[in-house]
Amino acid sequence: MQPYEKRMITKDEVIPTAEKMRADGVALAMIHAFIDDNGVPNVSYEYQMDPSIISCTVEGESVLPSISAIYDLAAEWPEREIMELMPITFEGVDTEKRLFMPDNMLDGQGQILVTPMDKLKKMTGLGEDNK
Amino acid sequence: MSYIIPIGPYHPALEEPVHAKLYTEGEEIKDAEVFIGYNHRGIEKLAQQKNFIQTLVMVERVCGICSHSHAFSYAMAVEAIANLKVPKRGQYLRVITAELERLHSHYLWLGIALHLIGHDSLFMHSWDDREAIMDILEELSGNRVNYGMVCIGGSRRDVDAEKSKNILAMLDKIEKSNLRLRDILLSDKTVALRTKGVGILTTEDSLRIGAVGPQARASNVPIDVRKDAPYSCYDEFDFDAAVFPTCDVFSRVVVRILENIESIKIIRQALSNLPEGKINLGNKIFKIPAGEMMVRHEAPRGQLCYKVVTNGGETNGRVSIHVPTFKNAPTVPTMLRGNSIADAGLIIASIDPCFSCMDR
Repeated sequence: MQPYEKRMITKDEVIPTAEKMRADGVALAMIHAFIDDNGVPNVSYEYQMDPSIISCTVEGESVLPSISAIYDLAAEWPEREIMELMPITFEGVDTEKRLFMPDNMLDGQGQILVTPMDKLKKMTGLGEDNK
Repeated sequence: MSYIIPIGPYHPALEEPVHAKLYTEGEEIKDAEVFIGYNHRGIEKLAQQKNFIQTLVMVERVCGICSHSHAFSYAMAVEAIANLKVPKRGQYLRVITAELERLHSHYLWLGIALHLIGHDSLFMHSWDDREAIMDILEELSGNRVNYGMVCIGGSRRDVDAEKSKNILAMLDKIEKSNLRLRDILLSDKTVALRTKGVGILTTEDSLRIGAVGPQARASNVPIDVRKDAPYSCYDEFDFDAAVFPTCDVFSRVVVRILENIESIKIIRQALSNLPEGKINLGNKIFKIPAGEMMVRHEAPRGQLCYKVVTNGGETNGRVSIHVPTFKNAPTVPTMLRGNSIADAGLIIASIDPCFSCMDR
């Protein structure tokens, strides 16, 4: 199995870590985020240092700086996706246009990973036809 | 004269829904934008409400082409969290299915590309070969789209000596046909005129945007998860990662046709050296402890990432899926710039997009 190493970092270390990784030629495999059972946001930047994955994780921060200036679209698209799925924001990312969600999903509402399904159906009107 | 030309989300030149805006001056594309999300099904949210076996079945349905890749990756992540050791025979069977899937995916793409190029007789030939691969997959798994070959702890179905002999015989035919197809593609004038120098993605741009899989290898970036971070039993096979330096659509055609040869090599080695023993850990429900794991798999279109977080309960805490098209789609505007409108469909198709995978 591919080696996996988790490193805890702070919000202030996000940019310096990304800059160092980029300078070392390390690719960003993905940005993963979730809100845990206690409501604590958890964001990890998965850097691929072949054959290992270095998972740099920030806990308890719902506003983080964007690393899209360092990793370009490889970071911008995952950041935009996370902002649409859960209440975590990345400063400096353009949120004018939606990546996945319909335009009628308002900012700060209807982030599907944290909104109950019945509330989502009410907000979007989806699922009404199936009744 | 400047025009904005919209393509899609539903358009005859597109196999799946995506929306592109082309900013043109005359025939030349000056800039482009890509809009995605027309296939979003909320699979990651559903995964949080389902147990591990249900999720395995569900993630196989993320994509109709690389279905096995999703099940393979998810199973590897859950097995790593639970510290389950998959029997060697089970690992070999997973790899055989994965490589057959790569073969049929590349043939599918090749057919679509040739159809867009306007070479419909070669399109028929490539899909004829693909049909033989689909027959092998059907013989192996009983299915043609969602193979259901993976279970937590191994593979679901075995291969006996007779089946193995049949598959090897069919592979001989496919290889012969693939070599013929390769020779035609490398020398055909129509293919050359429509693909050489079209849709350039330089090595620097590929690295900057983070392209993966055949898209990156066709831009002379030698990355392949099977080589760089071997998983399952890939380190036991002798094969090469196909890389080509011209960075255009032609390069993408060549890389995929060369990869077919490598995949056939891997399947042959796996079937010839199939270890004896069990194929899985038995028909039991495993207790998955709290933990997290990220795995990478070289799917037909490139690096597929699965990160699974568990909380010790019966359902997933979180399943994040990052698919190759999510990495390759941002390269489309770069490739479109400077090309003519007539080539836009082919250039978008040249990344082998799977919007069903990407939107999840």
